[in-house]
Amino acid sequence: MNKVPEKVLTQNFGVEHLFKIDVYMKKGGYKTLKKVIKELKPEEVLNEVKAAHLRGRGGAGFPAGVKWSFVPQDADKPKYLCVNADEGEPGTFKDRYIMSHNPHMLLEGIVLTSYAVGIHHAFIYIRGEYENIARRLERAILEAEKKGFVGKNLLNSGFDLQITVHRGAGAYICGEETALLESLEGKRGHPRLKPPFPAAVGLFQCPTVINNVETLSNVPYILEKGADWFIQQGIPEDGGTRIFGVSGKVKNPGIYELPVGSSLKELIFKHAGGMKSNKKLKAVIPGGLSSPILKPDEIDIPMDCESLMKADSMLGSGAVIVLDEGVAIIDVLRKVTQFYSHESCGQCTPCRIGNSWIHKTVQRIYQGKGKKQDLDTIQRLASNMLAKTLCPLGDAAAMPILAIVKKFRKELESFIQGTIK
Amino acid sequence: MVEIFINDRSIKVPEGITVLKAAERAGIHIPHICYHEAFAPEGSCRMCLVEIEGHLCLELACATQVKEGMKVFTETENVRQARQGVLEFLLAEHPMDCPICDKAGECTLQDYYEQYGLFESTFMEQKERKDKNVPLGKGLILDRERCVLCTRCVRFLRDITQTEELGVFERGVYSEIGIFDQRLIDNNYAGNLTELCPVGAITDKDFRFKTRNWFLEKGASICPLCSRGCNIFIEHHPGFARFDVPKRVYRITSRVTSREKDQKEKGYWICDIGRYGYSYMDQDRAEKIVLKQGDSALDPKKAVTYAADQVKKLIYKNKLNRLGVISNTWLTNEELFLVKKIFTENLESQKVFFPTTAQREADDLLLTSDRTPNKKGAQEIGFSLEAISEGQVFDGTELLFVFWASPFDLDQLTGLMSKIKEVQTKILFTPFEREWNKDFDLVIPTAVPAEKAGSFTNEDERIQHFGPVLYSPGQARAEWEWLVSLGKEIKVDFKSYARLSSPFDVFQMMKKKIKFFGK
Ligand SMILES: Cc1cc2nc3c(=O)[nH]c(=O)nc-3n(C[C@H](O)[C@H](O)[C@H](O)COP(=O)(O)O)c2cc1C
Ligand code: SF4
Ligand code: SF4
Ligand code: SF4
Ligand code: FES
Repeated sequence: MNKVPEKVLTQNFGVEHLFKIDVYMKKGGYKTLKKVIKELKPEEVLNEVKAAHLRGRGGAGFPAGVKWSFVPQDADKPKYLCVNADEGEPGTFKDRYIMSHNPHMLLEGIVLTSYAVGIHHAFIYIRGEYENIARRLERAILEAEKKGFVGKNLLNSGFDLQITVHRGAGAYICGEETALLESLEGKRGHPRLKPPFPAAVGLFQCPTVINNVETLSNVPYILEKGADWFIQQGIPEDGGTRIFGVSGKVKNPGIYELPVGSSLKELIFKHAGGMKSNKKLKAVIPGGLSSPILKPDEIDIPMDCESLMKADSMLGSGAVIVLDEGVAIIDVLRKVTQFYSHESCGQCTPCRIGNSWIHKTVQRIYQGKGKKQDLDTIQRLASNMLAKTLCPLGDAAAMPILAIVKKFRKELESFIQGTIK
Repeated sequence: MVEIFINDRSIKVPEGITVLKAAERAGIHIPHICYHEAFAPEGSCRMCLVEIEGHLCLELACATQVKEGMKVFTETENVRQARQGVLEFLLAEHPMDCPICDKAGECTLQDYYEQYGLFESTFMEQKERKDKNVPLGKGLILDRERCVLCTRCVRFLRDITQTEELGVFERGVYSEIGIFDQRLIDNNYAGNLTELCPVGAITDKDFRFKTRNWFLEKGASICPLCSRGCNIFIEHHPGFARFDVPKRVYRITSRVTSREKDQKEKGYWICDIGRYGYSYMDQDRAEKIVLKQGDSALDPKKAVTYAADQVKKLIYKNKLNRLGVISNTWLTNEELFLVKKIFTENLESQKVFFPTTAQREADDLLLTSDRTPNKKGAQEIGFSLEAISEGQVFDGTELLFVFWASPFDLDQLTGLMSKIKEVQTKILFTPFEREWNKDFDLVIPTAVPAEKAGSFTNEDERIQHFGPVLYSPGQARAEWEWLVSLGKEIKVDFKSYARLSSPFDVFQMMKKKIKFFGK
């Protein structure tokens, strides 16, 4: 891929006061909305997004258009849109850039999506710590309401849409879509048993679409430039660009918007400036903490959902965490197990006790009291969690743990034996 | 109906039922902890995972609906390993209190470990310590270390009683059941939690540390404390004479029959009045026949002869209109039928009186306002409960038979005592030793429902048969036995009583005579 990557979502990020509606409109904002509302029927909007192969940017990579089409159109209940702005996956910080730099782009995406699915109330469920961003969103909504892009009979189309910002209280699990719904309903953030899926029975028992901030931000561009253009930005089954958030031991950590399918190696060594202090690369976590770790010989890989799945990892939220030689793998493992045992909601047995047990064992190893068989135990316990829990958090924990123990077994063994401390 | 295959065996089951239920029909048990028939599947314990052909992952038997042609496997290596995995997790953080745990012997965790576990523990870490004696209200105690977080208790209080006293607090391995802000459980169904809890996490003070459940025998009976007639087990130490140990009965538990299962929200439970109100069975029991004149111990035969002689005296004097009866709706259908047969039909007495029992508050679930077990039965047998007034019973009465089987409603009889005392000859049938017994000429000890066979007709017109669970003490016998003997001894209709040697015989007779019982 030698063409100069075209920036889409972040193209205007440098523009001063982009978060204000006038600036956004000067840059062409809300034009697509005006046009679409006038010219396209909802199902035409839906079909265009479907054809664009826009895959979810929140973690699971599910095609957005397909998800929308699961919403029953004949139900007499209200339908809801929930925007997942919980951004809890460790390493992930792209949604905050979108929302703080360009909140109206997200709002435009929300209005278009709601129009396509026939939704009259959208909720933005935002991570509790993003207090300032929540304020900014609320101001942006007011601005958009004043201009008639949001609200009753918006743009005189006869279409109504209300957008509400709801702040979370700091639980990772509330980013899981059904826990998010429970939380939004004012209950404990306990994931729901599926099926039924939210598209059929979601918020307040009504059909609900849940999408990530970045996913929805793509919608205006798909409708402006067409599905074909969008696919060309990425790869046929995985259209568009992704905002990769690179962190860890690179020279220039930050967000990089690149076409879906860009090389991970280039992302690290070209765009992010390569390794900090020129240390040797040790490992890469390619899509948020839940994605299985890759060794240096595995990073020559295109960053799209399928390719990473084939490599037994996942693209997840596109958060790339880069580790150098100076990082001890026991520290990585300890951080991982600490995080998941802390964030398990506790509802189902394997995740509640499995994560805590594994973390206790890792902690013991870390304190120098490890035993030879501990690594086998950890692997067995993680396998007993894998694909056996109520919600995907169990997998999100088991997968990286299994990968770390498998790929760095030697180092962990010698740590246990005390050859390195 | 759809055809599915469980472990390669074809079975036909109704569409829409779950794999777990379908397997149950085929006699295959799929272990489950959080699932309970009365509630929607929760899917949290992960104990019921099974393999379904064509599915990538193991699926929940408790929540997956059957589909035509579905191939389910419940005993593959994968399934076995998943089950062991769940058990291993649960036991890792479990206190293993079995030697001092009231649930031991009937604990789901113990049973499943024996059936599906039997692994060596590999848990080498520090177990979480949690509160082991948390009062929840109504005598219930929560042990958080034993809790497996199935949330059955939470769901019961949310969905059934709708009182929502319990909730889950904290997260992850620190998750715990608790009450909110000292608002203790306070409803009439709280005791069900001890049964509903699959482990020994919720116990009640009434049963705690009193015995071990494997000593107990479960006898099927019907709760007589209101006219719902819940099906119960009376759990008792079998074979112990009444006064060798302080207690015979240790607890009352719900007995779920297929008929109960039809009415989901109601069928599985019993109320606390019925559950904890069993002490009357062993308290102040009348055990000896007492004849006032002569105050010598009588054998049963002489007692019946004495009573029959009193009747015969009236017959000879042609003064049967001087015969009165005070009856009650604690008697079984069979007994009430005999009362009717002897006194109303054979002796043509117009004075069979039922004192009105106090009506108390009913609730929306099970408890009825009538707190006697067989009002409906009495009505179906043909007693018009309000037809005869108090005055009529005593008016000119020279011989009075009083049947008083209720351990409660003492005021009622106390109120009548001054009038009863004035009657020339009065005979009392009662299971209890009370103040007023001494005012009767003859006291005949009787059995409580737990000690007799028979049937009650409940408020919903269900005729519910039951057998004796406990022995009746001393000379006490069920009323039906006394009544049959009396019927024989009075000799007006000797032949028909001679044929009756059990409540079953009586019921056969009733079935022929009364359409309601024949249906
Ligand atoms: C434990 C857990 C945490 C998650 N956290 C987030 C999150 O913070 N933000 C997000 O967009 N999706 C998160 N997801 C994914 C959501 O469940 C869901 O798949 C996503 O919001 C769907 O949107 P998308 O299809 O646009 O990606 C999480 C999933 C799990 C299992
Ligand atoms: S997998 Fe973990 S986070 Fe998800 S429901 Fe189970 S305990 Fe909760
Ligand atoms: S709950 Fe069961 S396993 Fe636990 S201590 Fe009691 S009997 Fe033993
Ligand atoms: S107390 Fe018993 S019923 Fe309640 S969650 Fe714990 S184990 Fe389940
Ligand atoms: S019984 Fe199915 S998950 Fe608990």
